[in-house]
Amino acid sequence: MDIFVQQLVNSLSVASVTILIGIGITLIFGLAGIVNFAHGEFLMVGGMATWFMVGAGMNFFVALVFAGLLVGALGFAAERCLFRFTLNRPMNGFIMSIGLSVILQHAVIRVFNEFQKSITDPVGLVWTIGGVDVTAMRAIVVAITAVIVAITYFGISRSRYGMALRASVSDRDTAELMGIPVRRYVTGVFIYGSLLAGIGGALMISLFPITPFTGSVIIIRGFAVSLIGGLGNVGGAVVGGLVLGLVDGLSAGYGYPEWTDAYSLVVMILILVLRPQGLLGGTLGPKAS
Amino acid sequence: MNLLAVEHVDTGYGPVAVNRDVSLTVGQNGIVTILGPNGAGKTTLLRSIAGLVKPRRGTVTFDGRDVTALHADEKATLGVVMVPEGRHVFADMSVRENLLLGAYCRKDRDAVEADLALMENYFTILAKKRGAKAGTLSGGQQQMLAIARGLMARPRILLLDEPSLGLSPLLVSELQGIIIDVREKFRAAVLLVEQNAGLALSVAEQGYLMNSGRIVASGGIEELQQSSVMQELYLGKRAQAKGAL
Ligand SMILES: Nc1ncnc2c1ncn2[C@@H]1O[C@H](COP(=O)(O)OP(=O)(O)O)[C@@H](O)[C@H]1O
Ligand SMILES: [Mg+2]
Repeated sequence: MDIFVQQLVNSLSVASVTILIGIGITLIFGLAGIVNFAHGEFLMVGGMATWFMVGAGMNFFVALVFAGLLVGALGFAAERCLFRFTLNRPMNGFIMSIGLSVILQHAVIRVFNEFQKSITDPVGLVWTIGGVDVTAMRAIVVAITAVIVAITYFGISRSRYGMALRASVSDRDTAELMGIPVRRYVTGVFIYGSLLAGIGGALMISLFPITPFTGSVIIIRGFAVSLIGGLGNVGGAVVGGLVLGLVDGLSAGYGYPEWTDAYSLVVMILILVLRPQGLLGGTLGPKAS
Repeated sequence: MNLLAVEHVDTGYGPVAVNRDVSLTVGQNGIVTILGPNGAGKTTLLRSIAGLVKPRRGTVTFDGRDVTALHADEKATLGVVMVPEGRHVFADMSVRENLLLGAYCRKDRDAVEADLALMENYFTILAKKRGAKAGTLSGGQQQMLAIARGLMARPRILLLDEPSLGLSPLLVSELQGIIIDVREKFRAAVLLVEQNAGLALSVAEQGYLMNSGRIVASGGIEELQQSSVMQELYLGKRAQAKGAL
Protein backbone atom coordinates (compact mmCIF):
# COMPACT_ATOMS: atom_id res chain seq x y z
CA MET A 1 0.00 0.00 0.00
CA ASP A 2 2.80 2.45 0.89
CA ILE A 3 4.47 1.64 -2.38
CA PHE A 4 1.21 2.20 -4.17
CA VAL A 5 0.72 5.67 -2.65
CA GLN A 6 4.29 6.59 -3.46
CA GLN A 7 3.82 5.41 -7.01
CA LEU A 8 0.65 7.47 -7.18
CA VAL A 9 2.39 10.66 -6.09
CA ASN A 10 5.24 9.91 -8.46
CA SER A 11 2.81 9.34 -11.32
CA LEU A 12 0.94 12.52 -10.52
CA SER A 13 4.14 14.54 -10.52
CA VAL A 14 5.10 13.14 -13.91
CA ALA A 15 1.55 13.70 -15.12
CA SER A 16 1.81 17.32 -13.98
CA VAL A 17 4.54 18.14 -16.45
CA THR A 18 2.59 16.46 -19.23
CA ILE A 19 -0.60 18.28 -18.27
CA LEU A 20 1.14 21.65 -18.34
CA ILE A 21 2.45 21.06 -21.82
CA GLY A 22 -0.83 19.50 -22.94
CA ILE A 23 -2.85 22.56 -21.90
CA GLY A 24 -0.64 24.79 -24.04
CA ILE A 25 -0.85 22.49 -27.05
CA THR A 26 -4.58 22.14 -26.79
CA LEU A 27 -5.25 25.88 -26.31
CA ILE A 28 -3.05 26.91 -29.20
CA PHE A 29 -4.55 24.30 -31.46
CA GLY A 30 -8.10 25.08 -30.44
CA LEU A 31 -7.83 28.77 -31.22
CA ALA A 32 -5.19 29.07 -33.90
CA GLY A 33 -5.39 25.60 -35.47
CA ILE A 34 -1.63 25.43 -35.17
CA VAL A 35 -0.07 22.19 -34.05
CA ASN A 36 3.08 23.62 -32.53
CA PHE A 37 5.74 20.94 -32.67
CA ALA A 38 8.26 23.27 -31.04
CA HIS A 39 6.20 23.32 -27.84
CA GLY A 40 8.37 20.52 -26.44
CA GLU A 41 11.48 22.61 -27.06
CA PHE A 42 9.78 25.51 -25.28
CA LEU A 43 9.61 23.23 -22.25
CA MET A 44 13.21 22.14 -22.69
CA VAL A 45 14.34 25.78 -22.93
CA GLY A 46 12.45 26.47 -19.70
CA GLY A 47 14.27 23.59 -18.03
CA MET A 48 17.68 24.67 -19.34
CA ALA A 49 17.09 28.25 -18.27
CA THR A 50 16.18 27.00 -14.80
CA TRP A 51 19.30 24.87 -14.69
CA PHE A 52 21.40 27.88 -15.65
CA MET A 53 19.80 30.24 -13.16
CA VAL A 54 19.91 27.75 -10.29
CA GLY A 55 23.56 27.04 -11.19
CA ALA A 56 24.21 30.78 -10.93
CA GLY A 57 22.89 30.69 -7.39
CA MET A 58 19.25 31.68 -7.84
CA ASN A 59 16.52 30.19 -5.70
CA PHE A 60 14.65 27.50 -7.65
CA PHE A 61 11.22 29.02 -7.22
CA VAL A 62 12.43 32.41 -8.41
CA ALA A 63 14.10 30.70 -11.36
CA LEU A 64 10.81 28.94 -12.11
CA VAL A 65 9.03 32.26 -12.43
CA PHE A 66 11.76 33.62 -14.68
CA ALA A 67 11.75 30.46 -16.80
CA GLY A 68 8.01 30.87 -17.29
CA LEU A 69 8.41 34.52 -18.27
CA LEU A 70 11.33 33.79 -20.58
CA VAL A 71 9.52 31.05 -22.44
CA GLY A 72 6.35 33.15 -22.50
CA ALA A 73 8.40 35.82 -24.27
CA LEU A 74 9.73 33.16 -26.61
CA GLY A 75 6.16 32.14 -27.46
CA PHE A 76 5.25 35.78 -28.02
CA ALA A 77 8.16 36.21 -30.42
CA ALA A 78 7.34 32.97 -32.25
CA GLU A 79 3.73 34.01 -32.73
CA ARG A 80 4.49 37.56 -33.83
CA CYS A 81 7.40 36.68 -36.11
CA LEU A 82 6.31 33.31 -37.47
CA PHE A 83 2.93 31.78 -36.76
CA ARG A 84 0.79 34.81 -37.39
CA PHE A 85 1.73 34.45 -41.04
CA THR A 86 0.46 30.90 -41.19
CA LEU A 87 -2.86 31.36 -39.38
CA ASN A 88 -4.82 30.58 -42.51
CA ARG A 89 -2.51 27.75 -43.51
CA PRO A 90 -2.13 25.50 -40.48
CA MET A 91 -0.06 22.94 -42.39
CA ASN A 92 2.57 25.58 -43.12
CA GLY A 93 2.57 26.46 -39.45
CA PHE A 94 3.06 22.82 -38.52
CA ILE A 95 6.07 22.39 -40.83
CA MET A 96 7.50 25.69 -39.65
CA SER A 97 7.17 24.55 -36.03
CA ILE A 98 9.19 21.41 -36.79
CA GLY A 99 11.91 23.66 -38.20
CA LEU A 100 11.73 25.85 -35.13
CA SER A 101 12.09 22.83 -32.83
CA VAL A 102 15.32 21.76 -34.52
CA ILE A 103 16.66 25.31 -34.42
CA LEU A 104 15.95 25.59 -30.69
CA GLN A 105 17.65 22.25 -29.97
CA HIS A 106 20.75 23.37 -31.77
CA ALA A 107 20.69 26.81 -30.22
CA VAL A 108 20.70 25.21 -26.77
CA ILE A 109 23.53 22.86 -27.75
CA ARG A 110 25.53 25.87 -29.01
CA VAL A 111 24.90 27.93 -25.91
CA PHE A 112 25.48 25.05 -23.48
CA ASN A 113 26.27 21.56 -24.79
CA GLU A 114 24.48 18.34 -25.61
CA PHE A 115 24.95 16.67 -22.21
CA GLN A 116 22.22 16.10 -19.74
CA LYS A 117 21.69 18.67 -17.03
CA SER A 118 20.22 18.32 -13.60
CA ILE A 119 19.81 20.30 -10.44
CA THR A 120 19.76 19.05 -6.89
CA ASP A 121 16.32 18.64 -5.34
CA PRO A 122 15.41 22.26 -4.55
CA VAL A 123 13.53 21.31 -1.39
CA GLY A 124 15.35 18.15 -0.39
CA LEU A 125 12.74 17.03 2.10
CA VAL A 126 10.73 13.90 2.51
CA TRP A 127 7.34 14.37 4.05
CA THR A 128 5.60 11.60 5.89
CA ILE A 129 1.94 11.85 5.07
CA GLY A 130 -0.32 9.31 6.74
CA GLY A 131 2.60 7.00 7.34
CA VAL A 132 3.79 7.21 3.74
CA ASP A 133 7.05 8.85 2.72
CA VAL A 134 6.57 11.35 -0.07
CA THR A 135 9.30 13.40 -1.69
CA ALA A 136 8.29 16.97 -0.89
CA MET A 137 9.31 18.36 -4.28
CA ARG A 138 7.05 15.89 -6.04
CA ALA A 139 4.10 16.95 -3.92
CA ILE A 140 4.94 20.61 -4.62
CA VAL A 141 5.03 19.93 -8.37
CA VAL A 142 1.56 18.41 -8.12
CA ALA A 143 0.28 21.32 -6.05
CA ILE A 144 1.66 23.99 -8.41
CA THR A 145 0.10 22.20 -11.35
CA ALA A 146 -3.23 21.89 -9.56
CA VAL A 147 -3.27 25.63 -8.94
CA ILE A 148 -2.42 26.39 -12.57
CA VAL A 149 -5.09 23.98 -13.80
CA ALA A 150 -7.68 25.60 -11.54
CA ILE A 151 -6.76 29.12 -12.66
CA THR A 152 -6.88 28.08 -16.30
CA TYR A 153 -10.15 26.25 -15.93
CA PHE A 154 -11.98 29.01 -14.09
CA GLY A 155 -10.43 31.65 -16.28
CA ILE A 156 -11.86 29.96 -19.34
CA SER A 157 -15.23 28.98 -17.93
CA ARG A 158 -16.03 32.05 -15.81
CA SER A 159 -14.23 35.17 -16.94
CA ARG A 160 -15.26 37.55 -19.68
CA TYR A 161 -11.98 36.84 -21.48
CA GLY A 162 -12.56 33.11 -21.20
CA MET A 163 -16.01 33.51 -22.67
CA ALA A 164 -14.61 35.49 -25.60
CA LEU A 165 -11.91 32.85 -26.00
CA ARG A 166 -14.51 30.08 -26.18
CA ALA A 167 -16.52 32.08 -28.70
CA SER A 168 -13.41 32.63 -30.81
CA VAL A 169 -12.62 28.93 -30.74
CA SER A 170 -16.11 27.94 -31.83
CA ASP A 171 -16.64 30.58 -34.55
CA ARG A 172 -13.81 32.91 -35.33
CA ASP A 173 -15.51 35.15 -37.88
CA THR A 174 -18.60 35.67 -35.80
CA ALA A 175 -16.47 36.39 -32.75
CA GLU A 176 -14.74 39.14 -34.72
CA LEU A 177 -18.11 40.50 -35.80
CA MET A 178 -18.94 40.87 -32.09
CA GLY A 179 -15.85 43.00 -31.65
CA ILE A 180 -13.64 40.33 -30.11
CA PRO A 181 -10.03 40.98 -31.16
CA VAL A 182 -9.38 37.36 -32.09
CA ARG A 183 -5.85 37.97 -33.34
CA ARG A 184 -4.92 39.38 -29.95
CA TYR A 185 -6.40 36.32 -28.29
CA VAL A 186 -4.26 34.12 -30.53
CA THR A 187 -1.18 36.00 -29.35
CA GLY A 188 -2.37 35.78 -25.75
CA VAL A 189 -2.94 32.05 -25.94
CA PHE A 190 0.52 31.55 -27.44
CA ILE A 191 2.08 33.50 -24.60
CA TYR A 192 0.06 31.68 -21.95
CA GLY A 193 0.67 28.21 -23.42
CA SER A 194 4.39 28.95 -23.69
CA LEU A 195 4.53 30.29 -20.15
CA LEU A 196 3.07 27.00 -18.94
CA ALA A 197 5.66 25.10 -20.99
CA GLY A 198 8.41 27.16 -19.33
CA ILE A 199 7.04 26.39 -15.88
CA GLY A 200 6.67 22.74 -16.93
CA GLY A 201 10.33 22.70 -17.91
CA ALA A 202 11.38 24.12 -14.57
CA LEU A 203 9.26 21.59 -12.71
CA MET A 204 10.60 18.80 -14.85
CA ILE A 205 14.25 19.55 -14.15
CA SER A 206 13.43 19.61 -10.44
CA LEU A 207 12.48 15.93 -10.84
CA PHE A 208 14.65 14.53 -13.65
CA PRO A 209 17.71 15.45 -15.65
CA ILE A 210 16.98 16.86 -19.09
CA THR A 211 18.92 17.08 -22.33
CA PRO A 212 18.51 19.36 -25.36
CA PHE A 213 16.54 16.50 -26.91
CA THR A 214 14.02 16.12 -24.09
CA GLY A 215 11.58 18.32 -25.97
CA SER A 216 11.10 15.92 -28.83
CA VAL A 217 10.17 13.14 -26.42
CA ILE A 218 7.90 15.24 -24.26
CA ILE A 219 6.06 16.70 -27.26
CA ILE A 220 4.78 13.25 -28.20
CA ARG A 221 3.42 12.86 -24.71
CA GLY A 222 1.94 16.36 -24.91
CA PHE A 223 0.13 15.51 -28.13
CA ALA A 224 -0.95 12.18 -26.68
CA VAL A 225 -2.44 13.95 -23.70
CA SER A 226 -4.27 16.53 -25.80
CA LEU A 227 -5.58 13.91 -28.19
CA ILE A 228 -6.66 11.50 -25.48
CA GLY A 229 -8.65 14.25 -23.79
CA GLY A 230 -9.93 15.80 -27.01
CA LEU A 231 -7.80 18.32 -28.89
CA GLY A 232 -8.88 21.87 -28.08
CA ASN A 233 -10.43 20.91 -24.75
CA VAL A 234 -8.53 22.08 -21.66
CA GLY A 235 -10.38 19.76 -19.28
CA GLY A 236 -9.49 17.00 -21.71
CA ALA A 237 -5.79 17.77 -21.44
CA VAL A 238 -6.01 17.40 -17.66
CA VAL A 239 -7.88 14.11 -17.87
CA GLY A 240 -5.55 12.90 -20.61
CA GLY A 241 -2.51 13.85 -18.54
CA LEU A 242 -3.84 11.99 -15.51
CA VAL A 243 -4.60 8.87 -17.54
CA LEU A 244 -1.17 8.84 -19.14
CA GLY A 245 0.58 9.71 -15.89
CA LEU A 246 -1.12 6.93 -14.00
CA VAL A 247 -0.45 4.38 -16.72
CA ASP A 248 3.18 5.48 -16.71
CA GLY A 249 3.69 5.51 -13.01
CA LEU A 250 1.87 2.31 -12.28
CA SER A 251 3.49 0.44 -15.15
CA ALA A 252 6.86 1.63 -13.90
CA GLY A 253 5.99 0.29 -10.47
CA TYR A 254 4.25 -2.91 -11.38
CA GLY A 255 5.04 -3.77 -15.01
CA TYR A 256 8.24 -3.71 -16.95
CA PRO A 257 9.63 -0.21 -16.39
CA GLU A 258 11.62 -0.26 -19.62
CA TRP A 259 8.29 -0.40 -21.49
CA THR A 260 6.85 2.68 -19.75
CA ASP A 261 6.68 4.85 -22.86
CA ALA A 262 5.15 2.06 -24.86
CA TYR A 263 2.34 1.48 -22.34
CA SER A 264 1.18 5.05 -22.44
CA LEU A 265 1.32 5.20 -26.20
CA VAL A 266 -0.62 1.94 -26.47
CA VAL A 267 -3.26 3.49 -24.23
CA MET A 268 -3.32 6.56 -26.44
CA ILE A 269 -3.75 4.48 -29.59
CA LEU A 270 -6.50 2.39 -28.00
CA ILE A 271 -8.42 5.46 -26.87
CA LEU A 272 -8.10 7.14 -30.24
CA VAL A 273 -9.26 4.02 -32.08
CA LEU A 274 -12.22 3.48 -29.78
CA ARG A 275 -13.08 7.13 -29.25
CA PRO A 276 -11.61 9.28 -32.02
CA GLN A 277 -12.91 12.57 -30.59
CA GLY A 278 -11.00 11.94 -27.35
CA LEU A 279 -12.36 11.18 -23.90
CA LEU A 280 -14.07 14.51 -23.32
CA GLY A 281 -14.55 15.43 -26.99
CA GLY A 282 -12.53 18.19 -28.57
CA THR A 283 -13.10 20.93 -31.06
CA LEU A 284 -11.89 20.20 -34.54
CA GLY A 285 -9.93 23.42 -34.44
CA PRO A 286 -10.98 26.48 -36.37
CA LYS A 287 -12.61 25.90 -39.72
CA ALA A 288 -10.34 26.71 -42.61
CA SER A 289 -11.66 29.85 -44.25
CA MET B 1 -24.15 63.26 -44.44
CA ASN B 2 -24.38 59.54 -45.08
CA LEU B 3 -23.69 57.18 -42.25
CA LEU B 4 -22.19 54.58 -44.54
CA ALA B 5 -20.78 55.05 -48.02
CA VAL B 6 -19.37 52.27 -50.16
CA GLU B 7 -17.54 53.56 -53.21
CA HIS B 8 -16.33 51.57 -56.20
CA VAL B 9 -15.66 48.45 -54.19
CA ASP B 10 -14.29 45.27 -55.77
CA THR B 11 -14.10 42.07 -53.75
CA GLY B 12 -13.11 38.47 -54.33
CA TYR B 13 -11.60 35.33 -52.92
CA GLY B 14 -8.20 34.37 -54.32
CA PRO B 15 -8.58 34.16 -58.09
CA VAL B 16 -12.38 34.53 -57.90
CA ALA B 17 -13.70 38.04 -58.41
CA VAL B 18 -17.08 38.59 -56.77
CA ASN B 19 -18.13 42.25 -56.52
CA ARG B 20 -17.28 44.77 -59.21
CA ASP B 21 -17.45 48.51 -58.74
CA VAL B 22 -20.15 48.52 -56.09
CA SER B 23 -21.24 51.87 -54.65
CA LEU B 24 -24.03 52.45 -52.19
CA THR B 25 -24.99 54.69 -49.31
CA VAL B 26 -27.01 54.38 -46.14
CA GLY B 27 -28.24 57.56 -44.49
CA GLN B 28 -28.44 58.24 -40.76
CA ASN B 29 -31.38 56.16 -39.55
CA GLY B 30 -31.92 54.75 -43.02
CA ILE B 31 -33.25 51.32 -43.82
CA VAL B 32 -31.68 50.21 -47.05
CA THR B 33 -31.90 46.86 -48.76
CA ILE B 34 -29.74 44.94 -51.18
CA LEU B 35 -31.78 42.44 -53.17
CA GLY B 36 -30.46 39.86 -55.51
CA PRO B 37 -30.51 36.21 -56.47
CA ASN B 38 -28.44 33.54 -54.79
CA GLY B 39 -24.75 33.87 -55.62
CA ALA B 40 -25.03 37.53 -56.64
CA GLY B 41 -22.34 38.56 -54.14
CA LYS B 42 -24.53 40.11 -51.44
CA THR B 43 -22.91 38.26 -48.54
CA THR B 44 -19.42 39.00 -49.82
CA LEU B 45 -20.22 42.69 -50.05
CA LEU B 46 -21.65 42.73 -46.55
CA ARG B 47 -18.59 40.89 -45.23
CA SER B 48 -16.35 43.47 -46.84
CA ILE B 49 -18.32 46.27 -45.20
CA ALA B 50 -18.09 44.47 -41.85
CA GLY B 51 -14.37 43.88 -42.28
CA LEU B 52 -14.21 40.10 -42.68
CA VAL B 53 -13.15 40.45 -46.32
CA LYS B 54 -10.76 43.15 -47.50
CA PRO B 55 -12.02 45.11 -50.48
CA ARG B 56 -9.56 44.88 -53.36
CA ARG B 57 -10.40 48.32 -54.56
CA GLY B 58 -12.58 51.18 -53.47
CA THR B 59 -13.39 52.62 -50.08
CA VAL B 60 -15.81 52.13 -47.23
CA THR B 61 -16.56 55.28 -45.28
CA PHE B 62 -18.40 55.19 -41.98
CA ASP B 63 -19.51 58.37 -40.30
CA GLY B 64 -17.11 60.38 -42.40
CA ARG B 65 -14.14 58.18 -41.61
CA ASP B 66 -12.33 55.85 -44.01
CA VAL B 67 -12.69 52.39 -42.46
CA THR B 68 -11.77 50.32 -45.51
CA ALA B 69 -8.73 48.73 -43.93
CA LEU B 70 -10.13 48.08 -40.46
CA HIS B 71 -10.68 44.57 -39.13
CA ALA B 72 -14.14 43.37 -38.21
CA ASP B 73 -13.58 43.71 -34.46
CA GLU B 74 -12.45 47.32 -34.88
CA LYS B 75 -15.49 48.10 -37.01
CA ALA B 76 -17.80 46.51 -34.46
CA THR B 77 -16.30 48.77 -31.83
CA LEU B 78 -17.10 51.76 -34.04
CA GLY B 79 -20.71 50.58 -34.38
CA VAL B 80 -20.77 48.62 -37.64
CA VAL B 81 -22.21 45.26 -36.58
CA MET B 82 -23.17 42.38 -38.83
CA VAL B 83 -25.66 39.62 -38.12
CA PRO B 84 -24.34 36.86 -40.36
CA GLU B 85 -26.30 34.71 -42.75
CA GLY B 86 -27.31 31.46 -41.10
CA ARG B 87 -27.41 33.11 -37.65
CA HIS B 88 -24.11 31.69 -36.37
CA VAL B 89 -25.09 31.76 -32.73
CA PHE B 90 -22.48 30.26 -30.40
CA ALA B 91 -24.24 26.92 -30.14
CA ASP B 92 -22.49 25.53 -27.06
CA MET B 93 -22.99 28.69 -25.06
CA SER B 94 -26.08 29.85 -23.24
CA VAL B 95 -28.47 32.44 -24.63
CA ARG B 96 -27.30 34.84 -21.97
CA GLU B 97 -23.64 34.31 -22.81
CA ASN B 98 -24.42 34.91 -26.47
CA LEU B 99 -26.03 38.21 -25.59
CA LEU B 100 -23.12 39.22 -23.36
CA LEU B 101 -20.70 38.43 -26.16
CA GLY B 102 -22.61 40.84 -28.36
CA ALA B 103 -21.68 43.55 -25.88
CA TYR B 104 -18.00 42.57 -25.80
CA CYS B 105 -16.89 45.66 -27.70
CA ARG B 106 -18.63 48.12 -25.43
CA LYS B 107 -16.85 50.37 -23.01
CA ASP B 108 -19.95 51.17 -20.92
CA ARG B 109 -20.06 47.88 -19.01
CA ASP B 110 -22.54 49.25 -16.49
CA ALA B 111 -25.20 49.73 -19.13
CA VAL B 112 -24.83 46.19 -20.45
CA GLU B 113 -26.91 44.62 -17.70
CA ALA B 114 -29.72 47.07 -18.44
CA ASP B 115 -29.56 46.28 -22.14
CA LEU B 116 -29.71 42.60 -21.36
CA ALA B 117 -33.01 43.23 -19.62
CA LEU B 118 -34.12 45.39 -22.52
CA MET B 119 -33.46 42.56 -25.01
CA GLU B 120 -35.17 39.98 -22.85
CA ASN B 121 -38.08 42.32 -22.57
CA TYR B 122 -38.30 42.88 -26.30
CA PHE B 123 -37.53 39.31 -27.44
CA THR B 124 -39.52 37.56 -24.74
CA ILE B 125 -38.50 34.12 -25.91
CA LEU B 126 -34.89 34.94 -24.95
CA ALA B 127 -35.94 35.54 -21.35
CA LYS B 128 -37.58 32.13 -21.23
CA LYS B 129 -34.55 30.46 -22.77
CA ARG B 130 -31.96 32.50 -20.87
CA GLY B 131 -29.99 29.53 -19.59
CA ALA B 132 -30.50 27.21 -22.56
CA LYS B 133 -27.67 26.42 -24.96
CA ALA B 134 -28.18 28.52 -28.08
CA GLY B 135 -27.84 25.40 -30.21
CA THR B 136 -31.03 23.96 -28.74
CA LEU B 137 -33.16 26.90 -29.96
CA SER B 138 -35.35 26.63 -33.06
CA GLY B 139 -34.27 28.38 -36.26
CA GLY B 140 -36.57 31.31 -35.63
CA GLN B 141 -35.44 31.67 -32.03
CA GLN B 142 -31.81 31.54 -33.14
CA GLN B 143 -32.48 34.34 -35.60
CA MET B 144 -34.01 36.46 -32.84
CA LEU B 145 -30.99 35.70 -30.67
CA ALA B 146 -28.59 36.62 -33.47
CA ILE B 147 -30.33 39.96 -33.96
CA ALA B 148 -30.51 40.62 -30.22
CA ARG B 149 -26.83 39.72 -29.87
CA GLY B 150 -26.03 42.22 -32.63
CA LEU B 151 -28.11 44.88 -30.90
CA MET B 152 -26.29 44.28 -27.63
CA ALA B 153 -23.31 45.98 -29.27
CA ARG B 154 -25.44 49.16 -29.53
CA PRO B 155 -24.63 49.38 -33.22
CA ARG B 156 -25.03 52.54 -35.23
CA ILE B 157 -25.69 50.41 -38.26
CA LEU B 158 -26.85 46.80 -38.25
CA LEU B 159 -25.97 44.71 -41.29
CA LEU B 160 -28.54 41.92 -41.62
CA ASP B 161 -27.72 39.06 -43.99
CA GLU B 162 -30.86 37.20 -45.06
CA PRO B 163 -32.57 37.13 -41.68
CA SER B 164 -35.72 35.62 -43.23
CA LEU B 165 -33.87 32.54 -44.47
CA GLY B 166 -35.73 29.42 -43.37
CA LEU B 167 -38.33 31.29 -41.30
CA SER B 168 -42.06 30.60 -41.49
CA PRO B 169 -44.26 33.32 -43.09
CA LEU B 170 -45.53 34.20 -39.64
CA LEU B 171 -42.02 34.79 -38.32
CA VAL B 172 -41.09 36.74 -41.44
CA SER B 173 -43.91 39.18 -40.75
CA GLU B 174 -42.72 39.43 -37.14
CA LEU B 175 -39.26 40.17 -38.50
CA GLN B 176 -40.73 43.11 -40.39
CA GLY B 177 -41.73 44.76 -37.12
CA ILE B 178 -38.36 43.97 -35.57
CA ILE B 179 -36.42 45.59 -38.38
CA ILE B 180 -38.54 48.74 -38.09
CA ASP B 181 -37.89 48.69 -34.34
CA VAL B 182 -34.14 48.38 -34.84
CA ARG B 183 -34.39 51.91 -36.08
CA GLU B 184 -37.24 53.21 -33.94
CA LYS B 185 -36.35 51.64 -30.59
CA PHE B 186 -32.71 50.73 -30.89
CA ARG B 187 -31.67 53.74 -32.98
CA ALA B 188 -29.56 51.96 -35.55
CA ALA B 189 -29.60 52.26 -39.31
CA VAL B 190 -30.16 49.00 -41.19
CA LEU B 191 -28.57 47.53 -44.28
CA LEU B 192 -30.71 44.50 -45.10
CA VAL B 193 -29.60 41.86 -47.56
CA GLU B 194 -32.46 39.69 -48.77
CA GLN B 195 -33.61 37.30 -51.41
CA ASN B 196 -37.11 37.63 -49.98
CA ALA B 197 -38.26 40.70 -51.85
CA GLY B 198 -41.55 40.88 -49.97
CA LEU B 199 -39.87 41.52 -46.63
CA ALA B 200 -37.23 43.86 -48.04
CA LEU B 201 -39.66 46.00 -50.02
CA SER B 202 -42.00 46.32 -47.08
CA VAL B 203 -39.44 47.78 -44.68
CA ALA B 204 -36.78 49.55 -46.75
CA GLU B 205 -36.86 53.09 -48.11
CA GLN B 206 -33.97 52.70 -50.48
CA GLY B 207 -32.91 49.65 -52.39
CA TYR B 208 -30.21 48.22 -54.57
CA LEU B 209 -30.50 45.28 -56.88
CA MET B 210 -27.42 43.16 -57.27
CA ASN B 211 -26.69 40.63 -59.96
CA SER B 212 -23.41 38.88 -60.78
CA GLY B 213 -21.53 41.01 -58.31
CA ARG B 214 -22.70 44.37 -59.65
CA ILE B 215 -25.40 46.83 -58.75
CA VAL B 216 -27.82 46.71 -61.67
CA ALA B 217 -30.56 48.99 -60.34
CA SER B 218 -31.07 51.33 -57.42
CA GLY B 219 -33.30 54.02 -56.05
CA GLY B 220 -36.21 54.69 -53.77
CA ILE B 221 -38.11 51.51 -53.03
CA GLU B 222 -41.12 52.39 -55.23
CA GLU B 223 -38.87 53.37 -58.05
CA LEU B 224 -36.84 50.21 -57.71
CA GLN B 225 -39.94 48.08 -57.68
CA GLN B 226 -41.09 49.65 -60.94
CA SER B 227 -37.73 49.40 -62.66
CA SER B 228 -37.59 47.10 -65.64
CA VAL B 229 -34.48 45.23 -64.43
CA MET B 230 -36.25 44.43 -61.18
CA GLN B 231 -39.39 43.25 -62.96
CA GLU B 232 -37.37 41.13 -65.30
CA LEU B 233 -34.61 39.78 -63.13
CA TYR B 234 -36.31 39.33 -59.87
CA LEU B 235 -39.98 39.99 -59.48
CA GLY B 236 -40.91 38.32 -62.76
CA LYS B 237 -40.39 34.87 -61.36
CA ARG B 238 -41.89 35.70 -58.00
CA ALA B 239 -44.91 37.48 -59.40
CA GLN B 240 -45.75 34.36 -61.36
CA ALA B 241 -45.37 32.13 -58.38
CA LYS B 242 -47.15 34.22 -55.79
CA GLY B 243 -49.36 36.56 -57.79
CA ALA B 244 -48.73 40.29 -57.62
CA LEU B 245 -46.44 41.45 -54.86
N1 LIG C 1 -15.18 31.73 -49.19
C1 LIG C 1 -15.37 31.76 -50.53
N2 LIG C 1 -14.37 31.36 -51.35
C2 LIG C 1 -14.54 31.40 -52.70
N3 LIG C 1 -15.66 31.80 -53.31
C3 LIG C 1 -16.70 32.19 -52.55
C4 LIG C 1 -16.61 32.19 -51.12
N4 LIG C 1 -17.77 32.63 -50.62
C5 LIG C 1 -18.56 32.89 -51.68
N5 LIG C 1 -17.91 32.63 -52.84
C6 LIG C 1 -18.46 32.83 -54.20
O1 LIG C 1 -18.77 34.18 -54.35
C7 LIG C 1 -19.96 34.33 -55.08
C8 LIG C 1 -20.92 35.21 -54.31
O2 LIG C 1 -21.30 34.56 -53.11
P1 LIG C 1 -22.13 35.30 -51.98
O3 LIG C 1 -21.47 36.58 -51.69
O4 LIG C 1 -22.30 34.35 -50.87
O5 LIG C 1 -23.50 35.57 -52.73
P2 LIG C 1 -24.96 35.78 -52.12
O6 LIG C 1 -24.83 36.13 -50.69
O7 LIG C 1 -25.51 36.88 -52.95
O8 LIG C 1 -25.70 34.51 -52.32
C9 LIG C 1 -20.51 32.93 -55.33
O9 LIG C 1 -20.21 32.57 -56.66
C10 LIG C 1 -19.76 32.08 -54.37
O10 LIG C 1 -19.54 30.81 -54.91
MG1 LIG D 1 -25.62 35.23 -49.04
